[in-house]
Amino acid sequence: MAGSHFTAVWEVACKELRTGFRDRQTTLYALVLPLCMYPVLFWLMIQGFLVVQGKKEHTDVTVGVVAQALEHVTPDLEQTLTQQSEDGSEASDAVEEDDRINVVELQKLGQAADLAAARAWLTDDPAQGEQAVRPDAVLFLPTPSGSEESDPTNRAQLFYDSTRSRSDTARKRIEARLPEVIDARREARAVARGFDPAELTPLSVERHDIAPVEDKGALILSLMLPMLLVMMTVMGAFFPAVDLTAGEKERKTAETTLLLPIPRTAIHQGKILAVSTTAVLATVLNLIALGLSAEHLLASLTRGMDVRIDLPVAALLSIVPLAALYTFFVSAVLTGIAGLAASFKEGQALLGPAQMIFIFPAMAVALPGLELNLATAWIPVLNVALAFRAMLLGQGLYLEYLLTAVALSLYAALAIRIAVRLLAHETVLLSGKTIPFKRLISLLRP
Amino acid sequence: MSSQDGDALAIQARGLRKTFHDPQRGEVEAVRGLDLECRHGEIYGLLGPNGAGKTTTLRMLATILAPTAGSASIDGVDVAADPLEVRRRIGFLSGSTGLYARMTARETLRYFGRMHGIAKGPLEARVDELIEAFDMGSFAEGRCEALSTGQKQRVSIARAVLHDPPVLILDEPTTGLDILASSAMIDFIESRRSAGTCVLFSTHILSEAERLCDRIGVIYDGRMLAVGSLKELQSQTGEEWLEDVFKALVRDADGAALGDPVQ
Repeated sequence: MAGSHFTAVWEVACKELRTGFRDRQTTLYALVLPLCMYPVLFWLMIQGFLVVQGKKEHTDVTVGVVAQALEHVTPDLEQTLTQQSEDGSEASDAVEEDDRINVVELQKLGQAADLAAARAWLTDDPAQGEQAVRPDAVLFLPTPSGSEESDPTNRAQLFYDSTRSRSDTARKRIEARLPEVIDARREARAVARGFDPAELTPLSVERHDIAPVEDKGALILSLMLPMLLVMMTVMGAFFPAVDLTAGEKERKTAETTLLLPIPRTAIHQGKILAVSTTAVLATVLNLIALGLSAEHLLASLTRGMDVRIDLPVAALLSIVPLAALYTFFVSAVLTGIAGLAASFKEGQALLGPAQMIFIFPAMAVALPGLELNLATAWIPVLNVALAFRAMLLGQGLYLEYLLTAVALSLYAALAIRIAVRLLAHETVLLSGKTIPFKRLISLLRP
Repeated sequence: MSSQDGDALAIQARGLRKTFHDPQRGEVEAVRGLDLECRHGEIYGLLGPNGAGKTTTLRMLATILAPTAGSASIDGVDVAADPLEVRRRIGFLSGSTGLYARMTARETLRYFGRMHGIAKGPLEARVDELIEAFDMGSFAEGRCEALSTGQKQRVSIARAVLHDPPVLILDEPTTGLDILASSAMIDFIESRRSAGTCVLFSTHILSEAERLCDRIGVIYDGRMLAVGSLKELQSQTGEEWLEDVFKALVRDADGAALGDPVQ
C-alpha cells in the first residue's frame, strides 16, 4: 500500500474496529456492559451485602446462661443482655415488635452446673437434654465473690461456635452488652466502698477524626476503583483479542488478510491497536459510569458515616495516560496468547487463566502497607493500580508516576514486539492447531 | 520487470522446497525441489492428487508460506526478497481465503483497493465496474456472511482481480461450487487468457485441466513429474486420456522410487 507503515496499521485497525462493533458480542462487552451492567452488578453486590447484614441484625439469637445458682443471674444482667426495662417491656418505647433488632433471648439452666455442663448445653442434641432448644451461645457466670466457691478471677466464660453464623452473632451481641453490666457493677462497688467511681477510670480517650469528609470518600474509592480499572481493561480487551486472532482463523480470513500488500507487522500491530482501542473505550465508559454512580451506590454503605463521595474527576483524568499505556500492554499480551489458538472457543479457554496474571496483582492493591514507590513503580499491573490509588488520594508522587509511565511504556513495547513476532509465525498462523505454551520459546527464537 | 530467462515469464520457480515440522511425524517435506515456469497470457494447470503439494506450492508463490529452500519469482520479483511487491502483482484465491463476514461486498473491495494504493475516485469506479461485471448488484450492499456460496465466489474473484494483477493464482477454484458456479468460474479463467493474464491454477478435476490449460504440470509427492501441453503429455506416455496419462506418470515415478527401470 502506498504510504507509511503507520498508515497501514491505522487502516487495519479501523477496519477491525468497524467490523468488530458490528458484532453483537463485541458491542455488548465493550459498550453495554461497561455502561450499564457493572454499575448495576456493583449495586446488587452492595444491596446483597446490606440484606445479609440486615438479616443478621434482625436475627433473634438465644443465649443460655449457666450459673451455680439461679440467683447469680441478676436482674441487671438479664435486662442488659436482653435490653429490656425493669417492667419487662422493650428498653426503647419507639422500638416496635417487628423492628426489634439484635434480640437476645435468655434461657437459664435451672440447676447447679459447671463448665462441662455449660459446654455440653451448647453441643448436645436438644432432644436428649432437658432444654427445649439448643442455645446459640452459653454464658457461664462465675460464682460471686464472698462465697466459698467463688472464682478468684471473677471471669465469666462465653461458649460459642465460630463456624455457625448465629453463634458468632450471639457472641458479638453479648460481648457488646456485657461491658455495661461490668461498668454498672464496678460503679456500685465503688460507691459501696465509699469512693468516687470516676477514680476507677484514671484515663479515658476521646477520638477526633480531622480527615475532611471528602478525603474519607476518596479513601473508599481508592480501595475499589484501581482494582476495577485493571479488571475492566482486561475484560474490555478479552473478547476482541480472541475475535481478531483465533476468530479470524476460524472464519477462514487469516490467509485473506495475509494477501494484503502491507508488511505483516503492520497487520498484527493494527490488530493490537484495535484491541487496545476497544479496551480503552470499555474502561473509560466503565470508569465514567462508576464515577457518576459511586455516590449513589456507596450511599447505602456509608449511611450514618461522616463521609462524602465525590466524582474524582481530577484523578480520572490524571490516570488516562497511564491507563492507556497499561491498555496497550494488556492488549498485546492477550492478543499474543489468543493468537496461539486455532478457534474462538480455544482462544477463550487460553485467555481464561491468562487473565489471572492481571487480576491477582490488581487485588493486591488492597493489601495494607502496599504503596507506590520507586520499587513498586516497576511492577507491571500493580504499578498502575497503585498509581491510580495514589491519585485518588491526592498524593503528589510525581517521580513515581513518571517511573510508572516509563515502566509501562517499556513493558507495552516489549509485549507488542513479542506478540507481533508470535502472530507472524507461520506455524501460529497456518498450522490449523492450537499451539501449546511449551512451544513459545521455540516460536520466539529468531 | 521480467525474468532474465525471457520477457514472457510470469512465474518462475527453481528447486522450490517446503518442509513442515509435525509433532507426530517429524519433518515432512511437502514440496521437494519443484521447478515451474509460466508465461504471461498462459493458463497453466497444476494437476495432482490430494497431498501432492499443489496447495503448498501455490501458497509459497503467493508469499503466504516462506520456501524452505529454492527460489521463486512473480513477474521477475523474488517472493522472498520483496513479498509486498509480489502481493501487488498477484491475485490469489483458495478455499482458505474467505471473505470478511461482517463487511459488505462493496466494503471488501474498497478495503482491498485502498490497501493496494488505488486512489478514492478510481477505486469507486473500479468497484462499480467489478460489481457490474460479476453481476453483484443485488447483493453488493449485504454482508458477506449472508451470501450464498456462488455469490461469495464472485466477490472473492472480484477481490482477487480488483488491482488488475498480471498473475492469478487459483487453488482448486471450482471445489464446492455447483454446476452453474463452476461453469462461471471456468468461463472467467478462460477470459483471463485474452486479457494477457497468467493463470496458474491447481485442480484434481481432469476435465478442467483438459479444457482450459495451455500446459499442464503433473505434481505428485512434492515433485513435478511432467510438464507440457495435453498433446505432449499424451505423446510422452502413450496414453490418450488424461487420467491414464496421470496414472502412467505416477506409476513411472513410483517405480523409479522403488528402483525399477523407467519405461
